[in-house]
Amino acid sequence: MTAPTDRDLILRARRGASDAFGELVSRYQTSVFNVCYRMLHERNEAEDLAQETFMRAYDRLHTFDLEREFGPWIRRVAANLCLNHLESWRATTELDDERDADESQRPEAVTEVRERSGQIRSALLSLPPQYRVVVELRHYQEMSYDEIAAELNIPLSDVKSHLFRARKILAEKLHASD
Amino acid sequence: MHLTDHVTDEQLNEYLDHESAEREQIETHISSCADCAARLTALQALFAEIESLPELPLTHDLTARFTPTPSLPVPQLPRWLTLTATLQVALALLTVIITAPFITELLPAVQTPSFADVLIQIQSQWLTWLDLLSTFQLPTLPQLPVIEISNLMITFTLAGISMLWLIGNGLLLRNQR
Repeated sequence: MTAPTDRDLILRARRGASDAFGELVSRYQTSVFNVCYRMLHERNEAEDLAQETFMRAYDRLHTFDLEREFGPWIRRVAANLCLNHLESWRATTELDDERDADESQRPEAVTEVRERSGQIRSALLSLPPQYRVVVELRHYQEMSYDEIAAELNIPLSDVKSHLFRARKILAEKLHASD
Repeated sequence: MHLTDHVTDEQLNEYLDHESAEREQIETHISSCADCAARLTALQALFAEIESLPELPLTHDLTARFTPTPSLPVPQLPRWLTLTATLQVALALLTVIITAPFITELLPAVQTPSFADVLIQIQSQWLTWLDLLSTFQLPTLPQLPVIEISNLMITFTLAGISMLWLIGNGLLLRNQR
C-alpha cells in the first residue's frame, strides 16, 4: 500500500482526523526544527517554536491552498514565526554546543566539521534578524527574491540589500575565523 | 554592462542567485577577467559553506500533541464494593438453602387457590383500591383499609424479590470482569 500524499493527509486533517496531521508533523518536524534552530540557535527555543509552527499550521489548515506544497509552506511559516520571535525578544542567547558532525567519521574529521559548523552558526547568529531570515529563505529554502519579498512583505530592493549585506558580514566573520 | 567594466558585488550575487538578466555578459567578462573570476569563486565558496550546515536531529517527537490519546480504561469499582456484593450473594444463597426445608414444609399446609381465584382476588383488591381512591377526600384522612395478604402472596413476593436481588448482583459482578 502506498503512503498517503500530503494532500490526502491535509484533507483528512481538515475533516478532524488529528492523526493525519500527526503524520504530516512526523514528515516535516526535523526540517521545521532546523529552520528554527538556524534562526534561533537555541535548541529548547527552536523545539518550542517548531511545535508552535505546527499548532498554527493546524489552526490555519482550512486556508491552506492545496495546489501548493506543504513542506515549503510550513518551513516559511516557521521562518516568519522565528523572525517575529526574534524581533519581539532580543535577549542575547548562548550558542548551543551542538553535535553537527557525523559521529561515524574519523575523530579529526568529526572535530573539524563540528568546529566549522559552530563557526557558521556563530556567524549566522551575529546577523540582525531581518538579514538572518533572508539568508534562511534564500539559502536553505531556495526561494526567489520575489517570493521572499512577498513572504516577508518587504520591497524587492530590501531583499537584495539584506541578502548582500548579510553575505558580506558572513564572509568577514568566516574568513576572520580561518 | 560593458564588457570592460568589472562585475559589481551586487551583480555577482544576483548571478549566483539566478536572478540576473545579464548572465551572458557577466559570463563573457568573467572568462577574460581573473579578478572578477576570483571574486565569483570566493562568493561561490561562501554559498557552499553556508549551505553545508548539517541538519540536526530532534531530541523529542513533536507528533505527540497531534496523536489521538487512547480511550481511557473502564474505571474499576472499589475493592470493598466488589467484596460487599460477593458477600451479599453468598448470604442470599445461604438464606435460600436454610429456608428451603421450612418453605417446602409450609407449602403443603397452605391452601393453594386456583389461578382463577387469584385473578378474582387481585381484581377485587384492585376494585377496592379504586373505590377507596374515588372516595378519598383531602380534608379528612380516611381510615386505612386492613389488607389481608395471603401466605402464598407473601411467599411469591419474597421469592420474586430474592430472585431479582440475585440476578441484579450477578449482573453487577459480571460487569466487573
